[in-house]
Amino acid sequence: MFKSKTLTRALVMGSQYASLILFALFTTFPLLWALSFGLSTDGSTAYFFPQGFIPHIADGEGNYNIGATFSWFERVFVEIPFSTYFKNSMIMSTASVLGTVLISVLAAYPLSRMRFFGRNFIFIAIIATMMLPSEASLVPNYITVTTLGRWANSLQAMLGSDAETWRRFVGINSYFAAIAPSLAGAFGIFLMKQAFEAVPQDLIDAARVDGATEMQILWRIMLPVTTPSIAALSIFTLVNAWNDFLWPSIIMRSKEMQPLAVGVFNDLTGPLSGSQNTLMAAIVLTVIPVLIFFSFTQRYFISGMDGAVK
Amino acid sequence: MKNSNLLAYFFLAPALIFMGVFVFWPVGFNTYLAFHTYEIAGGATEWNNFENFKYIWEEPLFHSAVKNSLLFLIVVPVIQLASLLIAKLVNNKLVGMTFFRAVYYIPVITAISIAGVVWSFVFNYAGMLNAILSSVGHFLHLMPETKMVEIDWLGDPKYAMYSIMVFTFWKGIGYYMVLYLAGLQAIPAEVEEAAILDGATVWDRFWKITVPMVKPTILLCTMLSTIGALKVFQEVVVLTGGKADTYTALFYVYDQAFKQYNFGVSAAAGLVVTFFCMLLAMAQFRFFGEKQ
Repeated sequence: MFKSKTLTRALVMGSQYASLILFALFTTFPLLWALSFGLSTDGSTAYFFPQGFIPHIADGEGNYNIGATFSWFERVFVEIPFSTYFKNSMIMSTASVLGTVLISVLAAYPLSRMRFFGRNFIFIAIIATMMLPSEASLVPNYITVTTLGRWANSLQAMLGSDAETWRRFVGINSYFAAIAPSLAGAFGIFLMKQAFEAVPQDLIDAARVDGATEMQILWRIMLPVTTPSIAALSIFTLVNAWNDFLWPSIIMRSKEMQPLAVGVFNDLTGPLSGSQNTLMAAIVLTVIPVLIFFSFTQRYFISGMDGAVK
Repeated sequence: MKNSNLLAYFFLAPALIFMGVFVFWPVGFNTYLAFHTYEIAGGATEWNNFENFKYIWEEPLFHSAVKNSLLFLIVVPVIQLASLLIAKLVNNKLVGMTFFRAVYYIPVITAISIAGVVWSFVFNYAGMLNAILSSVGHFLHLMPETKMVEIDWLGDPKYAMYSIMVFTFWKGIGYYMVLYLAGLQAIPAEVEEAAILDGATVWDRFWKITVPMVKPTILLCTMLSTIGALKVFQEVVVLTGGKADTYTALFYVYDQAFKQYNFGVSAAAGLVVTFFCMLLAMAQFRFFGEKQ
């Protein structure tokens, strides 16, 4: 009796691990394949299964042995302006995080802790934006951005300069235009509102008795105790901004302004794309920063989300 | 607490300005554009008597786009059932579970454009998917050793839409898994233990305990993925670019605007999609309201 029970346990556990590993292979095989492809000398073994998943190097006489070379990874930096794209991604993601956190915190505080005219209406309006397909706003936003650029140039002309350079700051091909539509979002405001509502009222009352202003309460009391939520919001925003593809691909027409997700995609799928090994190496290099960041912060992704569900 | 109106609006101002300009204004302007002809060069608009709507009503491309968007809904039950099962699996207390959860989440945090490039190589007629299928075929003696599976997964209109669904499934399952995991962890362990003592089978426990207890999460996820399926189009942009009959409703909107420069027609199609998305969201919102 005892023996069969242990056996069943082992069987159940074995099948559980088997399914876990199988499914892990399903979610990772494209990236593993890209990695092995990028590490091989050329593509001659890459399209076979299972050899394609193990990097091979040529010995010069037509034989292929298991081994790895980093030459394609070096080629990436020669063939595509990888560091420019990387810099753009960094600037855009950092600005997105700072902007989103600032806007969400400022908006969430009155919504959770102050009484004012139109509070419910504003909150419902913000939540209702979750239902709108943001993709249908691509055209109007594109027109808005070009208009902003025109205005900036007019303003510059009015101030006595004919250079027509101010458009670069807010119009097409500007960092501002690429991140602006996603800065104020229902998700961030809602997350911070939930966090602020969990702060005990006594804490705020005590501060008010001591004569603190609303700004001081927000800065000195609310922010320090809601750090975990702010961290979660920052991490989500960072990954989303880093991966944002469609809107930047519409706004960033010039190559020097494109982030990784846009620039690498255009270079890899464009008519002048280089060898497939470089392509795969570039893909791996693009994914690695996110993976490293994710490995340190993954508990926020796995646990931060249930706050948003409730 | 008195007279905090001014201060409250001061705090809210940045959010309201950005949302006003980039979220609310587009809805209004999009509606306006839908009824007008828009000149790209000068930005002049002219009322055109429902011309844009007549155009999309008669355009076969838009019809097939809508049909594809609706066809895409079949990915919803598949992804929901699979992610619930996966969530159940990673909810077990076994060694290395954090690792597996993280690995399943990797597709979610991969940029769609980059993942799309790899998958277009996987789906290629000489790509990895065909290589794997051929190996399986050879191994099971379903086909001779010399033959290879040669299906152009993204180029053949018969398969292209389904291949995009596979990509969506791969990309999205981790996201729903996390949501379900949160739901599963709220189930008290005693419930399941009691059922085991009563001799309930795994199958019974799944359908009679797990599913009813995570029903709110199932509703939420179904709503999210239904709207997501209707809105699918970035996948089309990165995988097929609309070739092989893979236009979806929003891809049509995007294509008309940024490839054909028909802003008016694009806005009209966008308005139709917005209308249906909101209708669906409201229906499900009501459904939710009653359940909770």
